[in-house]
Amino acid sequence: MIAVKQLEIGYRKGKHPVSVFSNMNMSLDAGDLVGLMGDNGIGKSTFIKTLTGNLTPLSGEITLNGKSITQYSAQELATQLSVVVTEKIGGFNLSVWDVVAAGRTPYINIFGKLSEDDEAIVIKALKQLNLLPLKDKLIDELSDGQRQKVMIAKSLAQQTSVIVLDEPTAFLDHSSRHHLFSVLKQLCTEQGKLIIVSSHDLELMKTYINRSVTMAEGNRLEVL
Amino acid sequence: MTKQRFIATTIYLMLLIVALITCDLCFGSVNLFSLDRSDPLFQTILYDIRLPKTLTAVVAGSGLALCGLLMQSLFRNPLAGPYVLGVSSGASLFVAVATMLISSVNISGFYFMGKSIVTLFSIGGAFFVTLIILMVSRKNKNNVTLLLVGLMVGQVLGALQGLIEFMSSADNLKTFILWGMGSVGSTTLTDVWFMVPVFFAAVIAGFFLIRSLNAILLNEQYAQNLGVNVNRLRVTIIIITAMLVGVITAFCGPIAFVGISVPIASRLFFKTSHHLHQMVFCLLLGACVVLAADVICQLVSNQLMLPINTVTTIIGSPVVIYLLFKSKLSVG
Repeated sequence: MIAVKQLEIGYRKGKHPVSVFSNMNMSLDAGDLVGLMGDNGIGKSTFIKTLTGNLTPLSGEITLNGKSITQYSAQELATQLSVVVTEKIGGFNLSVWDVVAAGRTPYINIFGKLSEDDEAIVIKALKQLNLLPLKDKLIDELSDGQRQKVMIAKSLAQQTSVIVLDEPTAFLDHSSRHHLFSVLKQLCTEQGKLIIVSSHDLELMKTYINRSVTMAEGNRLEVL
Repeated sequence: MTKQRFIATTIYLMLLIVALITCDLCFGSVNLFSLDRSDPLFQTILYDIRLPKTLTAVVAGSGLALCGLLMQSLFRNPLAGPYVLGVSSGASLFVAVATMLISSVNISGFYFMGKSIVTLFSIGGAFFVTLIILMVSRKNKNNVTLLLVGLMVGQVLGALQGLIEFMSSADNLKTFILWGMGSVGSTTLTDVWFMVPVFFAAVIAGFFLIRSLNAILLNEQYAQNLGVNVNRLRVTIIIITAMLVGVITAFCGPIAFVGISVPIASRLFFKTSHHLHQMVFCLLLGACVVLAADVICQLVSNQLMLPINTVTTIIGSPVVIYLLFKSKLSVG
């Protein structure tokens, strides 16, 4: 499903490329719950941004279903791969419904009107994460754990085969972390989604993941 | 927000606009009802003075509110607005430069050329400042920093404008000062036809951005991952804002408060984040606010037109502060 070949990730400072990690090779399949591990600053978020098309690879390539992600249009990629980032969202009257419905953005018209089918998909995503009773609540009124679930529901509404989560447990307590990971595990086993999740919680990762990608100093990459 | 509630609210706001337009046309130093309809004075007052003023109030109010909404959504910052972030100051400075140039080369007799130059300069000034603010916002995501940079840019441009005013003739200085206070009462119907196409083009362009604006409220990374071309969205918003603020400022002067407060009030009153609803409400509410301000100006002083900025700021700012304190909801 996802193949990474001789990938070098980083960013550009003016015209000069700044390499963060290089020589990355891996192959990830549908149904995998992949734990992305490594110390702070090693390049996990840069890898995730590259994987989701927010940064372009410095060299090498990432293919998704046999096609390089740089060849996907933004709209096409949005129907294949969704992301949950660490940054909290809120304000502007954003309700749970609004955020989950945003997952339908790649499929709806320019005026943002949801069809009946779109609404059914949003409701299904809310139900899957037990968020339906909260649908009219403002995002600002939710706990951190509930917010993360809303963002995952947004990814479900986006109907992508790949979901990437950057540090989703950063603001969560012990029980919320376990609940979140059990939801992710369920999505992999029942719906065959490929989920890539970065976290520093090694114990939690070991309990739930079935694949691991560890990034270490000296561009050492361990894929199990 | 349900479809029924959206339609009902839209109808209420439209009725309010009709009522305010009627008041704005009727109130003034001359009582229109005391004149015969066939009286040339009636025709002159209604069609040459009051109608342009009323239409200008609608265009200016709606346009500035739309700009405020677009800027607040793009920067995800409820404090953003054309006046606060210095965009109006950029337009003002460039209008001052254009006025100086026109008076120095003596083309003031050529109405269209003069108006076109002033308008183009005004758009250029607004565009210039919006670009600066956008570059700052990309370097530094902090809302307070963005606001402070906007205020500082506004101060610098204001100082430069002061310098130009200091060097200008007595006639030009008087024009600058009166224009700088903001007014919808100094336009002609020809000026209105200048503004209307730009206004409608901006509104139509704004409606085409609704899906992208809804997505960018999450954040830029999410919006991009949802298929939004964020760079194209930024450029489109800069162009819309610069065109609207430029044109409105060229004809009405820098109008304070409307661009920042109407989107805030709209979010507090109508409790929706969807940009189809917000855009319609901001356009209607913006027109209501400037029309109401103009009516108040007439009521307070029949003989001497008060500057519109005085009313929009004195009445509007406390209302927004009250709404912010009263509401437990976050607006940004």
